[in-house]
Amino acid sequence: MSADAVQDEYYHDLSYREDTPLVRTREGVELYCESTGEGIAITTLNNFFFTAPFWRDYTDELAKHYRVVSYDLCNHGHSTRLGQEPAWEEHAADLVGLLDALEIDSTYLLASSASTQLARDVALTYPDRVRGLVLAGPVVGPQIRRHRMLQRAWLRTLNSHDIPVLFSHMYPEFVSTQMIEEYGVPGFLGLRESFLAMSTPEELNNGLTLAQQGDPSTELLTRIQAPTLIALGDDDILLGPTAGHELAALFPNGRCAIMPKAGHVPFLDDPVGFQELVHKFIDEAEEHV
Amino acid sequence: MSDTAVEVRRRIRELLVDVFGGPSFVSTVHDAVSLREAGVPSTALVALLVAMEDAFGFEWADDVRPEVLRSIDSLAGHVVALRG
Repeated sequence: MSADAVQDEYYHDLSYREDTPLVRTREGVELYCESTGEGIAITTLNNFFFTAPFWRDYTDELAKHYRVVSYDLCNHGHSTRLGQEPAWEEHAADLVGLLDALEIDSTYLLASSASTQLARDVALTYPDRVRGLVLAGPVVGPQIRRHRMLQRAWLRTLNSHDIPVLFSHMYPEFVSTQMIEEYGVPGFLGLRESFLAMSTPEELNNGLTLAQQGDPSTELLTRIQAPTLIALGDDDILLGPTAGHELAALFPNGRCAIMPKAGHVPFLDDPVGFQELVHKFIDEAEEHV
Repeated sequence: MSDTAVEVRRRIRELLVDVFGGPSFVSTVHDAVSLREAGVPSTALVALLVAMEDAFGFEWADDVRPEVLRSIDSLAGHVVALRG
């Protein structure tokens, strides 16, 4: 790939908006939050490897039709740092506090990897606040043992080495074959720079540790009434297409969309195609409201 | 400081101008300063790395440490070291 092509395709503006006020969600907790566009809300959920600004490039088309809200979880990014990593229940309560502060009655949740567990919990605990779920590269359901084994391996790598070595470990597991071949080593090194800019060892340690926790029961998914889209890359080594369809079938109102040649974070491979999937899903879900 | 190192740094500056912006910005970036802290985004860094492969005739290894990518100085040092 030429330098110009990389420049065009490989863009991550990770800068924070300095004029954005923090939003108070509970006693002692304020969250960094960006809200773009108008209309039905879509709220993105970080998976401990992203920060709020990371979502801009993957929600820009959606923001032309909906109100996209991205925020940093408590103890991550530019949000309040507490002495102890919040539990999943506290992260869920923070999200509801954020919606209250932004005067959003209900929202679609757009989650990726580890944050699909948070999306599930919010949909179960606060069903009236959730219009629907988009779970990209989900780590809930029958495959959770494998997911947690992988996360523990990442955690051991982080604690035995450092973030660059962790990234080397993770990269071929979460990035698609096509992207690895297309971007080559310069793409790997550039994405590593973004990764280094977004996280500290402490944040990653806390996030990966929390990701090990939570109820692994598959039965929980059968109680979620909100329309649910599983967006899955067919090169996601954590969840194959057949298992993705089986997972979607557990939800009373679930479906699975396969993104060709995409990896565990499918919107990295095809930001436009991913947003078209989400747009179509929301439009159809809203027709049935 | 060898002539080679000086020449490599000059060439890297030219490449940075090509992939990121005008000479006025690049001229403010000192050789030893962190490119990220100077405001060079990762997208421009990737483009610079690709351009360096073409310009200097080598391929990046994926085990190169982040410190190598830190500044014009460290990038030039890597190229000079590869040339032995």
